[in-house]
Amino acid sequence: MIDFIQDQYDRLTGWLFEALLQPAMYQLGLMNWADEAFQWMDFFVFGVIQVIVVVAVCLPLEKWRPVERWESQRVVQTDVLYTLLARLGILPMLGFILFYAASSRIEGMIADSGFVPPTLETMIPWLREAPLVALALYIIILDFAEYWRHRLQHMFPWWWALHSIHHAQTQMTFWTDDRNHILDDIIAAAWFGIIAVVIGVPPGQFPIILLVLRLAESLSHANVRLDFGRVGERLVVSPRFHRLHHGVLSAGNSGKNYGVLLPVWDWIFGTADFRRDYYPRTGDPDAPSAYVRGGWLAQQAMGLRQVWRAITARRA
Amino acid sequence: MWRAALLFLCFTTGLARADTVYVLNSGDASISVVDVTTFAEVRRIPLLREAHHIVLSPDGRDLVLGDSAANELIFLDPTTGEIRRRERISNPYHLEFSPNGRYLVVASLRRDQIDIYEAATLTLIHRIRQRDKPSHVAFSPDSRWVYVTLQGTRQVSAVDLSNGSVAWVQEVGPEPAGIIWNRGKLLIGLMGRQEFVTLDPATREVRTAFRVGRGAHTAFPAPDGRTLYATSRVDSRIAEVDAETYEVRRVFEIPGGPDCIAFDPEGRIYATLRWTGRILAFDPRTGESAQARVGRSPHGIFVVPQREGVAVDFAYAAPGAISGSRPMAQPVVGGGAIVRVAVPPTPVAAPAVATEVADRAPAPTPGTVSATPASATAPR
Repeated sequence: MIDFIQDQYDRLTGWLFEALLQPAMYQLGLMNWADEAFQWMDFFVFGVIQVIVVVAVCLPLEKWRPVERWESQRVVQTDVLYTLLARLGILPMLGFILFYAASSRIEGMIADSGFVPPTLETMIPWLREAPLVALALYIIILDFAEYWRHRLQHMFPWWWALHSIHHAQTQMTFWTDDRNHILDDIIAAAWFGIIAVVIGVPPGQFPIILLVLRLAESLSHANVRLDFGRVGERLVVSPRFHRLHHGVLSAGNSGKNYGVLLPVWDWIFGTADFRRDYYPRTGDPDAPSAYVRGGWLAQQAMGLRQVWRAITARRA
Repeated sequence: MWRAALLFLCFTTGLARADTVYVLNSGDASISVVDVTTFAEVRRIPLLREAHHIVLSPDGRDLVLGDSAANELIFLDPTTGEIRRRERISNPYHLEFSPNGRYLVVASLRRDQIDIYEAATLTLIHRIRQRDKPSHVAFSPDSRWVYVTLQGTRQVSAVDLSNGSVAWVQEVGPEPAGIIWNRGKLLIGLMGRQEFVTLDPATREVRTAFRVGRGAHTAFPAPDGRTLYATSRVDSRIAEVDAETYEVRRVFEIPGGPDCIAFDPEGRIYATLRWTGRILAFDPRTGESAQARVGRSPHGIFVVPQREGVAVDFAYAAPGAISGSRPMAQPVVGGGAIVRVAVPPTPVAAPAVATEVADRAPAPTPGTVSATPASATAPR
């Protein structure tokens, strides 16, 4: 069955690439980037599938047991745009184009230093024979790194000024997952890049697992009254667990429940709140109105201003 | 499809051979092992990240492939597929050993570097920075020079292996990709054009050689020494080209983005179809063909003959050994370059089969690759 799905997927992406994308690239004199384009098209098609699956799962849940009901969902539309820009590869592609030369130079400098970046599998050889275990380890390590990146986002005023965009949403839904400032995304990519130099990047050949992980992250933002039970709440971040993180009293450095996928880090570092009956209102009371009601562009522009204010205020 | 497979089964089993084809799946970090008798994938060997190209070691003992994103060189037993060892090196994209077996040269597409290693010890001798995207490498038969296409800057770089310096850089056209040595010149596929061009390393004169179709990519010498097969990625073709005159004899329409090509001792073609996750087996003498599903974005490919009296390095004993990315001064007994004794070149036989198929384009039936007349794509 999986083979059949994979075959159909290959045929679809092959056709899209051969019939549409590659001829256009040839006309534009961009064949130099054909291999990368094939990967981006893969990213795009996989992104479309991700969005469809996330909508198919989360939308009925939000209809079934919503935490909040709203007269108008206009502000949610901005989050839809964030999601499409991120998951269909548009923002990542822009980042790739802008930073390709720089990343090549950095990788070249690392190579010149004589250091060959390792992978987790070179450090733990038996993982070569157990790729799924290797992937699980990568996920755990990256999730741990994400937990700490997330805590630092709340800790430093300038970083919180950016991350507050994510928290300012008063109508949190599964679309809110990708609501981030571009500068914040760039920092996240650099963070990820440093980890890649230390342990390598996780293998990308497990699309179904990656699909499930992205679904879990979207679900954690869903407007649904749902927890995973006494044990489950301690294993995977639930909508209830993450909603508490987005609660109005959890903004800034007073946050709880920073975990992205695994609540265990909050448990270990004393930031967990496992109250299962608590579904607070979401939002950042101190956020500028553009963060709450503005469109994508207004939020991005305001983000830069807020960062500048945070930096200059600290200097003053 | 099943008829095509059956057809292929009929003509392969008739030869009582069980050759093995190794395919590098760049999109899902694995090697597909395909049994030619059944033309089905029999095994999937996991790699770490992203493997692209595969070559034979100079002593004929190992298949050597680069997992570029994992920074690994992998040595594979050609007979069993067992991974014998791994070596950590920086970003091995395209790689090739020098004809004398002394050097291994790696083009690092992502890191803009050409690395020259001592083949025996994998000691890095020289690292040469390039401006943009060193893509494919080819040697001169005397192993003095290595030539590297620079995809991002429309150039070919000539590196003197005696001192690791770039002797000259020549512009050849937009987005040069594959490069091989052929009869004293370099033959280069221009992905931004429809043509292959020749570059004379002595005079640095660049001339149009032949046209194959949009996205000209790489040419591969057939074992007979008389024929080259050249791929086009946008028009998705394989062209059969006279290796001496560059006359395009036939053009085969191959949907799926044909990329790398390998040959069995009879000259049958095995090609990776990059965009559809398949490999093509194709007999140019009869036009019969079949496809097998492999992994995602298959790229490098190598045919290991599993039959009596034919070694894995047979290609270096065939007349076609004088062309390619590792061109021999002359074909070598047994194939391998270092330890074998050289013999005079094999006389080129009359092209009976080629003439026959050139005159008789096969009909486009299931399991048959259609050909267009050569005149349709002759260079202007």
